[in-house]
Amino acid sequence: MNTSQTAVMNKRAVPALRKRFSFAKAIAILFLSVLVVTQVYPLLWLFIYSLKSNEEILSASFFSFPQSFQWSNYSAALEGNYFRYLLNSLFVTSVTMLCVILLSSLAAYAISRFRWKYGHLVMLLFLIGMMIPMQATLLPLMIIFKNLHILNTHASLILPYVAFSMPIAIFILNGFMRSIPHEIEESAIVDGASVFRIFIKIILPVSVPPVMTVCILTFINIWNEYILAATFISSEKLKTLPFGVNSFVSQYSVNYGAIGAYLVLGALPVIIIYFLLADKITQGMVAGAVKG
Amino acid sequence: MNVLKVSRLTIAAFVLPCLLIYISIVFVPILVSLYSGLLDWNGIGEATFVGLDNFRNLLFHDPLFWPSVRRTLMFAVFSMFEIPVALFVAILLRRYIRKPNFLVSSYFLPVILSVVIIGQLWKTIYNPGSMGGMLNQLLTAVGLESWTRVWLSDPSVAMYSLYFVALWQYLGYHTLIQFTGIMNIPAEVYEAAKIDGAEAFSADRYITFPMIIPIFKISIVLSFIGSLQAFDMIMVMTGGGPAHATDVISTLMYNMSFLSMKYGYGSSIAAFLVIVCLIATLLINMIFNKSEKRYT
Repeated sequence: MNTSQTAVMNKRAVPALRKRFSFAKAIAILFLSVLVVTQVYPLLWLFIYSLKSNEEILSASFFSFPQSFQWSNYSAALEGNYFRYLLNSLFVTSVTMLCVILLSSLAAYAISRFRWKYGHLVMLLFLIGMMIPMQATLLPLMIIFKNLHILNTHASLILPYVAFSMPIAIFILNGFMRSIPHEIEESAIVDGASVFRIFIKIILPVSVPPVMTVCILTFINIWNEYILAATFISSEKLKTLPFGVNSFVSQYSVNYGAIGAYLVLGALPVIIIYFLLADKITQGMVAGAVKG
Repeated sequence: MNVLKVSRLTIAAFVLPCLLIYISIVFVPILVSLYSGLLDWNGIGEATFVGLDNFRNLLFHDPLFWPSVRRTLMFAVFSMFEIPVALFVAILLRRYIRKPNFLVSSYFLPVILSVVIIGQLWKTIYNPGSMGGMLNQLLTAVGLESWTRVWLSDPSVAMYSLYFVALWQYLGYHTLIQFTGIMNIPAEVYEAAKIDGAEAFSADRYITFPMIIPIFKISIVLSFIGSLQAFDMIMVMTGGGPAHATDVISTLMYNMSFLSMKYGYGSSIAAFLVIVCLIATLLINMIFNKSEKRYT
């Protein structure tokens, strides 16, 4: 009875609403499109900028296209150690991701499944860590690393990157592993499997979705990290991409087109990955935020 | 709940590698910096123990400290004002857009880029028109020449130029968080409300707002903590200058320790920052726990 009644009501209500709403809808769509422009146009502008000659940049023609594309800006930029920085970033980020996943999934498994007294305490420690700003550890870490003689090596980046990625990783993995049914392990134990075997053969394979989330979060955070790299690294050949881009741009202050080209090149790896995996990345980062 | 009974050795093998790295990289440095906050030390030579002198100077005698605290808080306030805007955008997206993926991904694009790219991009945009800066050229082109500024070198506007970049970068992030929150509200709830005559903005008033509070809280915490930590972007764009006009707590700490070589003093600022972060998180949680109880 209810459904038929509402159906009648809806029929009556719809025409009036639709008229009013189409106007509101037009405004809403206009507003949302303006936002697309404000969020994306600066990046597009940078790309166009990077293809202009210095004269074109300096003459106030900010939305005109370049007369001819100055690809030479890009060759000037590529001379600036770009590939070296890219490789360094790849190395540092992938080692960090591997360590984070391995170490945090081990710890998360212990916290979520083992029967022991201090599980909650350990979890609390990691939770507190999420509130601690990384830059507060910058100075003491620098002194510590100097004494250990690992300042200005990739280890001085990877260690803090791993440590600061752990809390959120453990939090996400712990939340997931809690929900795995206990029967799976019980039957494995009956079959005589060791804990390590259960972890590797059963738990890790079913935990692929949260591990992917952790991968995405760690990748975005570490790939983009600038200040630790700029503080702990001084050799040209060890710089990561953000640091490299920043030092190139700060030194090269007159060739505007080349600066633009270098910034585009610096953004390119992440943008390519984003084009391929946009939904996964947005979901992963929101999941990271919401669960954190 | 946890069923697996395992030996201590196994527990250690699972937890210790992670825990040891974590404690020695996160907690030990914090303790070290609490201690070095009590020293008069340039980081290399002899250190003298001066007790709470650094903290006393910091809180009562440093002309740079309170202004940088104020800027940090302003940062937090501005980014909290952004969240209702993000919620509004998210509501519009849910109501009017059938396939929001393209819009959402475009809004999110600035979020995934490094602060270096964002910072340098906006530095280029803020450049004087004669150096190719888009903003000033745009203002000149529409006849607002008197509005043109050297956005990052003029102490009266430099800080606002920085706030703006941070808001610009994270709008997409907060929008997406709110949007995900709204999409997780079951459609039946809205349908039921429709039957009761609640549609459009009254549905938002009685359904979306109360049900989104936990997500709203997350956004607030994230933006508050994020602002307290706002650091890299300022280092890239102004380094705290001109003449400390854009210093926030963390850039002040960095400049004191690495440029002025007052390592002990810098550590006391770091300690202050950690304490403020922890207290702020607790406070926000307490406030929201109360309001959640009121609404649910």
